Parts: sequence; C-alpha cells; structure tokens
Amino acid sequence: MLLVGLPVLGLLGILEAGRTLAAPPSIAGEWTLEFGSVSNCAALGRLRQPALTISQSGASALITLNDGHASTLEATINGPTLTAKSLTHKSLTAAIAGKAGERVLDGRLTLEGCAPASFRAARRAPSTKPGS
Amino acid sequence: MPSLFQLVLQIAVILVAARAVGFLFQKIHQPQVMGEMVAGILLGPSLLGWVAPGISAALFPPASLTYLNALSQVGLVVFMFVVGLALNPAELRAHGHAAVLTSHVSIAAPFCLGGLAALYLYPRLSEDTVTFTGFALFLGSAMSITAFPVLARILSERGLLHSRMGTLAIACAAVDDITGWCILAYIVVLVRVTHAVRPAWITVAGSLVYVAVMLVVVRRCLPVLERAYRRHGKLSDNLVAVIVALVLVSALATEWLGIHVLFGAFLMGAIMPKSPEFTRYLLHKFESVTVVLLLPLFFAFTGLRTRIGVGGDSTIWFYSAIVIVVAVAGKLGGSMLAARLAGAPWRDAASLGILMNTRGLMELVILNIGLDIGVISPAMFSIMVLMALVTTFMTTPLLEWVYPSRLLRAESGETRQNVA
Repeated sequence: MLLVGLPVLGLLGILEAGRTLAAPPSIAGEWTLEFGSVSNCAALGRLRQPALTISQSGASALITLNDGHASTLEATINGPTLTAKSLTHKSLTAAIAGKAGERVLDGRLTLEGCAPASFRAARRAPSTKPGS
Repeated sequence: MPSLFQLVLQIAVILVAARAVGFLFQKIHQPQVMGEMVAGILLGPSLLGWVAPGISAALFPPASLTYLNALSQVGLVVFMFVVGLALNPAELRAHGHAAVLTSHVSIAAPFCLGGLAALYLYPRLSEDTVTFTGFALFLGSAMSITAFPVLARILSERGLLHSRMGTLAIACAAVDDITGWCILAYIVVLVRVTHAVRPAWITVAGSLVYVAVMLVVVRRCLPVLERAYRRHGKLSDNLVAVIVALVLVSALATEWLGIHVLFGAFLMGAIMPKSPEFTRYLLHKFESVTVVLLLPLFFAFTGLRTRIGVGGDSTIWFYSAIVIVVAVAGKLGGSMLAARLAGAPWRDAASLGILMNTRGLMELVILNIGLDIGVISPAMFSIMVLMALVTTFMTTPLLEWVYPSRLLRAESGETRQNVA
C-alpha cells in the first residue's frame, strides 16, 4: 500500500504544483504577414503568403520563409517575445499576443539589403490538434 | 499524389533496412526488433536526411508519408490485437502477491517520477495549448510502459521464458500493459475532450457502454470461434475474416468515441479465448505479415518524425539525459525494490527490474499517439524515442551482467537434477 500510495500521493502533489507553471505560447502553423509600410526592397517583394511557416518545440522554433528558397531562421520564445535569426543575417523579432486561437505576431523582419520592416502576422491555419 | 512506384520503393527500402539492421543487432545479442527500430531512425532525418538530404527528400517526400502512415497504422491495429491476444490474465493470478505488488509499483514509481520531470520539462518543451496535467500524465504513462512483446522475445532468446523470474516478468508486464493502456485512454480522452466538437459525456458514457458490451456480450460469443477451431483443427477463411471484422469494428468504435483506434484493437485481442492452442494458432495467422511487413513501416514512419541530434542544440541532450535517468530510476528501481520487498533475492529482483525497464516498440506506439494528439512537442517526441531505444538496448547487456548465461545454465542443470 505504502509503495503504491506514496507515488500516487506524490503525483497528486505534482499535478497541483504544476498548475501554476506556464508553457511557451503556441505559434506553430502558417502565418500571413501584413507590412506596415510599402517597401521597394527586392527580398521583401519575393515573400509569398503565407510568408512564414513555424514549427515549434516548446521554447524553440524554426521559421521557414516563403521566399522561394525556403530560408530558415532559428527562433527562441522567451515569455511573450519571439526572437529569430539566420546565419545570413535575416532576423525577426515579434511580440506574441492574443489567445491560442486568435494569436497574432507584431514585430519587425529584417532581410538582406532591406531596412527592418514592421509587420503584423495572423495565423492562417491555427495548429489544431489532429485528434480534435 | 505519390506514385505507386514510389510507395513500393519506400516499402522495399524500409524492409531491406529493417532486416539488415535487425540481423546486425542479433549479432550483438540484441533482439531483432531493436535493430528494426534503429533502422527506422536511420532512415529519418537523424541520419539519412542529415548525410544525404537529397536522397532522403527524393525517397520520402512529405506528400508521400500519408500513404506510408496509413499502411503503418493498419499494421499497428493488427499488432495491438496480437498484443492483446498474447496477454493472459491467468498468469497474474498464478504469481499472486509478488506480481501484483511489483506490477503496481512498476507503474506508480515511474509515473510519479515522470510527473516530477514534467515540472522541469513543461515550461521548456511544451506549449500553452497543452495543460500541465495532460503533459505530466502522458509523460508518466509513457515512462511506466513495458514492452510486453519485446520482453517475451528477450526472455525466450535467453531461455528464461518458463523460469520463475521469466513468468513473473511476463505477468507483471501484462498487468503493466493493461493498466498503462487504460491510463493512456483516459489521458487521450482528457486531451481530446478539450478540443473535440463532441460533448465529453458522450465519450465517457459511450466508453463505459463500449467496455460493458465488449466484456459482457462480445466476450461471451467468442468461444464459438474457439469451438470451431477445435472441431476442424483450423479456422475457415470466413471465420478469420469475421475476427478481422470484429477487430476493425472495435477499433472504429473506440476511434469514434474519441479514445483511439488502437485501444479497440487491443481490447478485442485481450478478450479473445485464451486456450494456448487457439491463441498460438491466431498469433501464427496474424503475426507474420504484421511483424515482417507492417511494423517496419511503422518504425520507419516513427523514424521520419524523429530528429535525434539534428540542429546541434546541446540542451536537447541534457533533457534527454534527464528523461533517461528518470525513466530508468522509476521503472528499473521501482520494480527491483518492489520485487525485493516481495521476497525475491537481489539477483532476481534486479533482473526483474531490468526486464520491466524494456520499453521497445510499445513506447513508440504511445509516443506516436502523444505526438498525433499534440500532447507532446516534436522535440519531446524525439527525446522520448531516444529514451525508448536506450532502455530497450540496455536490457540484454544488463541482464547478462546481473544474471549471466553460465549461471542460468548451472541453475537449469540443478533444477533438472532435483527433478530427477
């Protein structure tokens, strides 16, 4: 009884303690970008919608740009902030806002030869659970 | 849509790789299935996709994986039926207190430690669409599983299948599997209900009705099949088709209820009549195609979703080490302690702990369910796959160390002399 009861009690305590923990916000899926201002920069012009595809594993993510070359940026999620960069000096920073189903990204994207462009992104196909 | 040529080519490559690596693993005294699991990983991004991305992309383009997955899922449905079929609750009754204590502790201890690990891993490897409860319960359940089929194969290969420790291990693993799948069914419902369109009460009430129908109605009708087998020494093709249809209907029922297609197949196997001849006959009928053809496809599909060491993020190795240590401490340590307290000598208790720590392909089945329903992230999936491989791989050498073959042969000799 003791050998089974103690772990079960421990598990109940763990489940209670874990209620206060927060996991990184879910951002996986395809994102459509709207830029704040019109840019003549060629690299930005090559982006097609959905401009970003994000695959996520906890606080780490991989952002793939729909720029014809499938350029990738390695990203980290720190609280409500997404920071990403590539070896070729592309970078993205964004604030993650909204609930899981209505999540938006507000931030800046920098591509080679372009000035940082501010954008607002909406998830095109929210990452629904396959089991749902 | 991928061409038939591509699908057949994929199957051929997977089968050749599975048999070749399985053969090599047998040479180092590992079970064939361990090699097949590793072959699946090698065909994925962890090796082929890393060293030859062009070949990998041409051989396994993402669009073609739907078909590979469909085939592997059909294989898993049949395989889960076979696993259920091989379970025999009478084995548990024969071992009484020791089996009950060891099996319960071997679930409770890793479950608790898995939950403890979840406190650290949830903020790092999960997402806010998954609740902590779902994540922790899934982790605990995945850590507490024992691979009943792999365990039986290891025991058989070492000539321990009918020893006292072997039968005790099989009995404990049987209880672990039944309990583990029940807990997992609950977790799947818990996770799916949060996202499902269907009201939760339909899932809960429907599941209770389903289990009652299976145990009370279907189970009582099944001996008809056994009697037909006894009369003719075999089953007609029509009756085999009836069994397949029953498995599929049961699987569909659990899928419709929101549990999972595999639970229905497993339960159908578990309630089949358990006379040794009938069970052997059905196992022979269903096992060959499943084990030789369809399971390697499942291993390959799992491998294609696993990214061990890809990306060079060293923290993943740290998380992997935590998961492996926790899994081994909970399962091996918990089972060993329980067996020792139940009166087994240290050597037997340690051997039992080592055997119960074998997770094998049952772990891969559970992890794929977890990834499918979104309760674990791809990184967590890869970490857990690595844990499954390590804990399965370590079984044979650890067992040889604790319970050497020469000792086993000597003890077998003594037993024979005593009998004489």
